[in-house]
Amino acid sequence: MAVDDLIPTLTLVAADGATRAGRGLSGLMGQEIAIHVPNIRVGTKDDACDAVGGEETVVLGSYLSISGDITGHVMLLFPEPRALECVDLMVGNPPGTTSEPDEMACSAVAELGNIVGSAFVNALADRLNLILHPSPPQVIHDMAIALVETVYAEVLSQGGEVVMMDAVFEDRKGQTAGLLIVAPDPASLGALERVAA
Amino acid sequence: MTTVTAEARRVSVGIGQLAISRDPNEILVAYGLGSCVGISCYDPEAKVAALAHILLPSSEGKRVDDREPARFADTGVDLLLQRLVEAGAVKRRIVVKVAGGAAVLGAANAEKFKIGVRNAEAITERLKHHGVRVVAADLGGTKGRTMEVHVATGKTFVRTAASPASEL
Repeated sequence: MAVDDLIPTLTLVAADGATRAGRGLSGLMGQEIAIHVPNIRVGTKDDACDAVGGEETVVLGSYLSISGDITGHVMLLFPEPRALECVDLMVGNPPGTTSEPDEMACSAVAELGNIVGSAFVNALADRLNLILHPSPPQVIHDMAIALVETVYAEVLSQGGEVVMMDAVFEDRKGQTAGLLIVAPDPASLGALERVAA
Repeated sequence: MTTVTAEARRVSVGIGQLAISRDPNEILVAYGLGSCVGISCYDPEAKVAALAHILLPSSEGKRVDDREPARFADTGVDLLLQRLVEAGAVKRRIVVKVAGGAAVLGAANAEKFKIGVRNAEAITERLKHHGVRVVAADLGGTKGRTMEVHVATGKTFVRTAASPASEL
C-alpha cells in the first residue's frame, strides 16, 4: 500500500482527533472553538506555517513525542500573543494580564499541549486500536518554520516519506486559536497501513 | 562602492534549496533555520554570492530529490561549490560562513536525533574535502536562526526570534 492510499484513513482519524483536541481546547478556554478540516500533507511543508502567520512568526506552544505501537511527533503552536491570551483565559485572568512567556505562562502552555495533543493521540489509538503514549510536553518558543523544519528533518532522517497532519483551530472571531501538527515516523507508516487495511 | 538599495529584493531560500546570485540588489535569506544549517558563500572578486539551506547530514542510502537539491550536506555542498564555480567564483577565494544546527525541540529530543550537530559536522567535513575553510560560524544552542547574505557586499547577518540581526 502506498502512502497515498493511507490518506483516506488518516483523514478520518485526523478529523476525529482534531474534533477531540478542539473540544479540549474549547473546554480549557471556556469558549467555542471551530475546527477546520485537517490537512494531510505528504512531503511538502512550505505552507505549513501559514495558519500561524508565516515562517518567521514567533510561536509559543508545546511538543510531545509519541511512543508505543507507533512513534511520531505532535506540536501545538500559537502565535505568541494568542498563546498569552489563551493563558489568561485558562487561568481566569482579565485579557491582557499575561504579557510575556514567563514561568506561569509556559506551564499553562505545556498543559494546553498536553491536553490537546493527548486528545489527538487518544483518537488515533482508539480508531486504529493501538497503544500509544504521549511524552510529557516540552514548551517550545521560536520561529514557526524552525520548529516545523526540525520535525520534518527528524522524520526524513529515518528514510521514507514525511506525512504531516495539521489542524487549525479558530475562535468565534475567526482568529487562529492554534495549529496542531502531527507527524508519524516513517517506520510507523507500515503499522498504520496494516491497521488501516 | 556598491551598496544595497532600498529596493533590495529578498530571495527566500527554502528547506533543501540553494541560490546563487550576482545581482547586487538581491539579499538571499534562509528563514528560521532550526536543526537545518545555512551556508553563505561569497567570492569578493567575482562578486558572486550563494546561500544553501541544508536539512540532513548524509545522502547515503537516500534518494536525492531534484526539488530539494541541497537537502543533504554531502551532495548539497558539492552542488553549491559547482554552481559557484560555474558562476565565475574561484574555490580558494570563497568566503564561507555557517549558521544553524540548533536543538529547538528541547534537549531530550536533540539527544535522540542530534541532527543539528551532525549537519554542522558533515558540512565542515565536506567543505574541507574541497579545500574550503569556514571563516565564521554561529551553530548549536536552542534557538532557530534566520540567515541572510547581501549580494552587494557579501556581508552575512544572523538573527533569532529574541535577538536582532548581527553580522557574522
